[in-house]
Amino acid sequence: MSIEEIIKEVNSIFIDVLDNDEIVVQHETISDEIEEWDSLNHIQLVVAIEKHFKIRFTAAEIVNFNNVGEMCVAIKIKIAS
Amino acid sequence: MRSHQDQNSIIVMQKGDKFDLRFKITEETYRGFISVFNDKNPLHTSSAFAIEKGFQSKVMHGNILNGFISYFIGECLPIKNVVIQTQEIKFFKPTYLNDDLLFQAEVMDVFDSVKMVEIKFVFKKDNEVKVATGKINIGII
Repeated sequence: MSIEEIIKEVNSIFIDVLDNDEIVVQHETISDEIEEWDSLNHIQLVVAIEKHFKIRFTAAEIVNFNNVGEMCVAIKIKIAS
Repeated sequence: MRSHQDQNSIIVMQKGDKFDLRFKITEETYRGFISVFNDKNPLHTSSAFAIEKGFQSKVMHGNILNGFISYFIGECLPIKNVVIQTQEIKFFKPTYLNDDLLFQAEVMDVFDSVKMVEIKFVFKKDNEVKVATGKINIGII
């Protein structure tokens, strides 16, 4: 699965969890750019992403992601391993 | 993309942990619910109306069950540093005054990365009739 494909699936998760069809996430997207992405929804997003891709992050990994793209790279690595 | 979770908190619950509780919808609970929330819909307050609509008697408010869930989360889990993040409930059967309910819950998953526990539950009447089911996501604060 390519990074672009992962970002597309992550985008669908964001739309579903945040209940906003207009969301378009990109590699550089950060939480400040999406109104609904607060601390509570952040948890729901991570849980939905872990479930969807059947992966698990550590707390340290989550804290160190600087944007959506970095998370998608981590997803790609975990899927491959 | 920063998590707001306390990195030092410890999740003591594990996948597969089970909890069984029993609740009774007492006159006090029923009256208290109406007193606090003022839902006096005739389905809940008039046996004649409820029977006319096909029920055995006046139907208890479904959200009384959510009160029992609140008690379970707040008082019966092995830790107190919890907060309900999401909750879903589906109602299958009505409940009536003085019904005895069996509440069964099970930890379905634990998400260490964001310190969240997913719990599924079922309310049963007469130990076997499924009254309501649902899912609760609990954050460890």
